[in-house]
Amino acid sequence: MPDMPTAFWSGWIATVTIVSFVGLVWFIFSVYFSADAGQEESEGPVWDENLREGSNPAPMWWFWLILALMVFSVLYLMLYPGLGSYAGALRWSQGGRLNESMVDYESEFGGLRSLIAEAKLETLQADDALLRSAQRVFDRNCAVCHGYDAAGQASYFPDLTDGEWQWGGSPEQIEQSIRNGRNAVMVGWSPILGDDGVLQMVDYIKRLGQDDAGGHPAQPKYDQLCVACHGLDGSGNAALGAPSLIDDTWLYGNSDSALQHSIAIGRTGEMPAFGERLDETQIRLLVALLTQNSSQE
Amino acid sequence: MNGVGLHKKLEENAGLLIFGILFVSTIGGLVQVLPSLFQESLKTPTGTTRPYSAVELAGRDIYIREGCSVCHSQQIRPLLAEVKRYGPYSRAGESVYDRPFLWGSKRTGPDLHRVGGKYSDIWHRLHLINPRDVVPNSIMPAYPWLAERDANAGNDIHLKMIALRKLGHPYSDEQIEAAPAALEGLTDIDALIGYLQILGTWTKPEDTP
Repeated sequence: MPDMPTAFWSGWIATVTIVSFVGLVWFIFSVYFSADAGQEESEGPVWDENLREGSNPAPMWWFWLILALMVFSVLYLMLYPGLGSYAGALRWSQGGRLNESMVDYESEFGGLRSLIAEAKLETLQADDALLRSAQRVFDRNCAVCHGYDAAGQASYFPDLTDGEWQWGGSPEQIEQSIRNGRNAVMVGWSPILGDDGVLQMVDYIKRLGQDDAGGHPAQPKYDQLCVACHGLDGSGNAALGAPSLIDDTWLYGNSDSALQHSIAIGRTGEMPAFGERLDETQIRLLVALLTQNSSQE
Repeated sequence: MNGVGLHKKLEENAGLLIFGILFVSTIGGLVQVLPSLFQESLKTPTGTTRPYSAVELAGRDIYIREGCSVCHSQQIRPLLAEVKRYGPYSRAGESVYDRPFLWGSKRTGPDLHRVGGKYSDIWHRLHLINPRDVVPNSIMPAYPWLAERDANAGNDIHLKMIALRKLGHPYSDEQIEAAPAALEGLTDIDALIGYLQILGTWTKPEDTP
């Protein structure tokens, strides 16, 4: 039933609609079929010898057109909601139409979609059509940050194709990242390290993992301040989202100034949660797409 | 009396004709507009819908100033394709604190009603300063000046909130007093992102029938 303020206003709408409709019908019919229409006109003024009110009456095809519209109006008000709280013979509503199309959608695609949501990743990855679907989900939801080629963008949004995963690259971890999002925090260390300390630390982390790293002047500070998240060997910690410092991937760019910024001022990385925006099928397809390379290698 | 006689009478009396025109043209309003003024469901906030905070309100005014609504609607229609793409359709109760509402009907860019929380703050910042930096094929204009302008340049945010309170938005005295301080040090882009990030986040599908 349509949403109405009160029964009074429902009645008000129905009454005003019906009365004005009946008034219109009366007016149209009496203009066209009035018995004494001609007599009244004869009393009016005359121009150019014989031109007077009503000497060129409205054409009949207008009448038929108006009559057709009246019939349409009556049928419409009987079938569809229009007269106050009367729901119409068809019980049509916007919400009902949406629900119907949802049901149709479910019955057409629901089975296939739940198969995809539960399928093995290898099965999905072997199917080119499904991978194309997955790519469309990616383009709609992920590409504006990570790029249409998934290679990352703007030094803020990580490359998803390089095999380096800040929060872990297993299908479960990637699914977790998509579903619940991630929030990474790197605090700024310039108050503790000082300007020179920051520069030394940049130098040190670039050498980390190489043979000449030992005995570096920044090593004691690293072992004291950075190990908790990035680990003694600099390999990072996926549980904390602390990236590895010994690979060639730098999340915020590999220039010295970018590294200085990260160490001195800190960084906050945010991956929004998509658990409410995407359904199980879409998430499963994305995981299949993103783990495609790692499972083939 | 018949239709022709009525017509003749109206045509010969200007005052009667004016009254008749006014009467006929109010019928639509009497049916469509008048009852909706008494419709509680249009005035009741949906879910956790609340008045905008000082930052969000300033951001909303920037959204209006920059003409975002010229290309972006904030109205998801109850159609399968829209609900699948954008999320739950828009409810009237979500707009009770929008004066004026920004539903819009033209989409050059995508609908923004449920954009809140979809992208990170830094993405919005980069995207507003130059959309091509993150979306190479975007046709959206760049808005670099947003990052330079003081969000409370007019120092009038508390006045706006007082005006809205007169219209029934439940702001407390403390909220209004704290408003200028909340915008301290923020630029237009901060306020606008603050507004974008709460868009459509106050209502979940289960909140409404």
